[in-house]
Amino acid sequence: MKKAFSVLAFTLVSLLVLDSLVALTLNWAERSGRLGSLVQYFDYGRSVPGKLQKWETTPGAGGNLYDVAWRDDQVAESATRFAAETDPNVPVIRSYGMSFVNHIIRKAVEADQTLTWDSHAGPGAPPNFTYAMFEDDRDFRRSGDIAVLGILSSSVPGMAALSNQTWVFEQPAPFTYPIYWPEGDGLRRVDPLVQSATQHRTLAENPSALADWHNQLSREDYFFSWQTFEAIWADKSPFARLVRRSLATSHVDQTKADIANSDDYPYAEVLGRMVATFATTARSDGQIPIVMLIQSNHPGDADVLAVTTAILQEMGILYLATSEHVDPRDPSKFIPDGHYTPEVDQLFAEQFLELIHNLEPN
Amino acid sequence: MLAYVLLPHKAQNRMLLVASYVFYSAWDWRFLSLILLSTVVDYFVGLRMERETQQIRRKQLLWMSLAVNLGMLAIFKYLGFFADSFQDLIGSLGYEIDPFTLSIVLPVGISFYTFQTLSYTIDIYRRDLKATTDFFDFALFVAFFPQLVAGPIERAKNLLPNIAMPRVLSWEALSRGAVLCLIGLIKKIVIADGLAPSVDAIYSSPDPSRLDIIFATWLFAIQIYCDFSGYTDIARGVSKMLGFRLMRNFAQPYFATSPQEFWRRWHISLSTWLRDYLYISLGGNRGGPRKTYRNLMATMVLGGLWHGAAWNFVAWGAYQGGLLALHRMVVGRMGETGEGVRRTLLAWGLRVLTIAAFFQVVCYGWLLFRAGSFGQITDFTGRLIGLTAAPAGLSIPAPPLAALLGIAFLLFWDALIEISGNVQFYARWPVAVRGALYAGMIYLLAFGATTATSAFIYFQF
Repeated sequence: MKKAFSVLAFTLVSLLVLDSLVALTLNWAERSGRLGSLVQYFDYGRSVPGKLQKWETTPGAGGNLYDVAWRDDQVAESATRFAAETDPNVPVIRSYGMSFVNHIIRKAVEADQTLTWDSHAGPGAPPNFTYAMFEDDRDFRRSGDIAVLGILSSSVPGMAALSNQTWVFEQPAPFTYPIYWPEGDGLRRVDPLVQSATQHRTLAENPSALADWHNQLSREDYFFSWQTFEAIWADKSPFARLVRRSLATSHVDQTKADIANSDDYPYAEVLGRMVATFATTARSDGQIPIVMLIQSNHPGDADVLAVTTAILQEMGILYLATSEHVDPRDPSKFIPDGHYTPEVDQLFAEQFLELIHNLEPN
Repeated sequence: MLAYVLLPHKAQNRMLLVASYVFYSAWDWRFLSLILLSTVVDYFVGLRMERETQQIRRKQLLWMSLAVNLGMLAIFKYLGFFADSFQDLIGSLGYEIDPFTLSIVLPVGISFYTFQTLSYTIDIYRRDLKATTDFFDFALFVAFFPQLVAGPIERAKNLLPNIAMPRVLSWEALSRGAVLCLIGLIKKIVIADGLAPSVDAIYSSPDPSRLDIIFATWLFAIQIYCDFSGYTDIARGVSKMLGFRLMRNFAQPYFATSPQEFWRRWHISLSTWLRDYLYISLGGNRGGPRKTYRNLMATMVLGGLWHGAAWNFVAWGAYQGGLLALHRMVVGRMGETGEGVRRTLLAWGLRVLTIAAFFQVVCYGWLLFRAGSFGQITDFTGRLIGLTAAPAGLSIPAPPLAALLGIAFLLFWDALIEISGNVQFYARWPVAVRGALYAGMIYLLAFGATTATSAFIYFQF
């Protein structure tokens, strides 16, 4: 018994010493700008408030996502660009998507320099973000424009979230978006209490607003959890960060599986209605709707073409589905960060150009 | 755990039995009926067989046990497969039949507990074992939760006395069990789950390169070893904490230099079961070389089919049987596993080269095992030998750093067991060194526990 307790005691002491050494090493590495990927690996496990706090205090640091993709900022920028457009008769491609969509349209615009493009995007943006952006930007599109709605398969579970901060644990960009629910023949929009980076920054000094925000997240957002938002003090220990990352990853994966396999959140129905309403709205405004269906390489993703194909065919909506051109199971088509290779993006861009060059004039 | 320690021996057994049934019911309570059926039949068959003096009656009782257990396996595991194969065969002969699909759910662990309980009745039939009179002890032997769903496939001779006799619960066993669990968790979570996405990416890719297939199959060899032996380590660790001694199921299998040695090190509880109850029952090596090779092939093909109702498992079994037969033909029998043998540096060098070469042979077997279909086996084999056009380069996603660190740790750990011939080589190390080692292992586990976890591969068998 004595020996077993000695081993246990030495194990705990060694764990403490090892954790302290790792913490010292990470502090030194961060101060001296070395071992960047190792520092990032351990940073992934910080609590969401811990990561956001770190981003707030180091605004210029690489990978800082605090100020990206807030919808009110994007709408304001869109308004400025809209006002600056010199020839209102030149149709503009107005895209609502994420990096995948941007990569494709950028290649298309490079290939055909007569095209004009106005991008609205968020990192790993879910369809409720892209659709909400499309709705919010309505005043800054003209008749004759091409509206592109991006749907990324790996972001479909985010339709049950109000912000990337609850379901993209490792890179919890705080920008927010609504959750949509089926209602009647259309959709009901539940807007987040926090709508801008400025508003988010003030939460730290306003405990009741913070409590309201967290209450809304716990009520409406399927991914919000104590594992990711509580016990910020534990961020001091690299070991605790690793444990948190494991718990958080497991929680997010489980929630994604629950959304995919149960009727708690009817993502397929909502997605179909989004596509239908997007097309109806664009057409009623004299614009040409195109849906871009991006199938990423995660094996468990929803098949976004299969989910939307009925409504696309029924309404005759133009679309570009990546899975019709490249098998998403082929790893040679992707770069290590999960995006398509430039060659594949070029192929999609050619398909996109073919779509828009064959458009019937309005 | 505290309640378990405080309870008297028989109450401990009842508690474990309830825990085992609750554990199994958590997956699907309806399939508990199969375990109960197997338990009741084999308990009474065992008692009647022991009392019976007429050999013909004993044989009839054995057949009853075989029919019930293998019948359950046949219905739940193989009926759908044979129905599909039958339809394919009829279709290939040009006949048309109305297609039908049997949707039979495979009960978790059925292959393991039916083999375990069969060993009990066969041993009684062979008069190698006395039947137990305590029904609940026997029920615990069949359903003992740590090894219920993926082994080791225990023998009644080993586990029943461990159940029937009071167990000594010691701090040393607790600490040894905890270390086994820790190693098992590192193998499963850090290594196997870390490697799974890389392997899956290539085995679901429509157009992998030759190098992709080679790397993915190497990684799968490590993944399946860590997944399965990780489960075994956890099962043995938990059992040890409860005062049980389960058999060793793996002995550094990739340090083998021949098929015979590999099967003495890989899934030992299954390979010895197949040897004792199938190979020997078929006649073993008693009928001359031709019958020996036939028996080897039959045993290994059925062993392959035990893993799953699919033709690729049959092919894997046939490949292993062929390797064993070929090795026996060329080299003859080999007595020892090589673990703990003293060698010169040159002998070690030669052995390492042989290990590396034989690992490639094992890996081709894993390609057969991992393939999703017969078509994929021919496609991948064609790409490997250049008969099918394949792209150049390497597109397999890189495994995470933690998995690579885990593999390095495991290589070091297994090498020390191999060299010392002692699975508890670290027990003599100073307490402070052991404490530091365990702390490092816990840190490694946390470091690698960030990837998505998946079910144990062998749960499907």
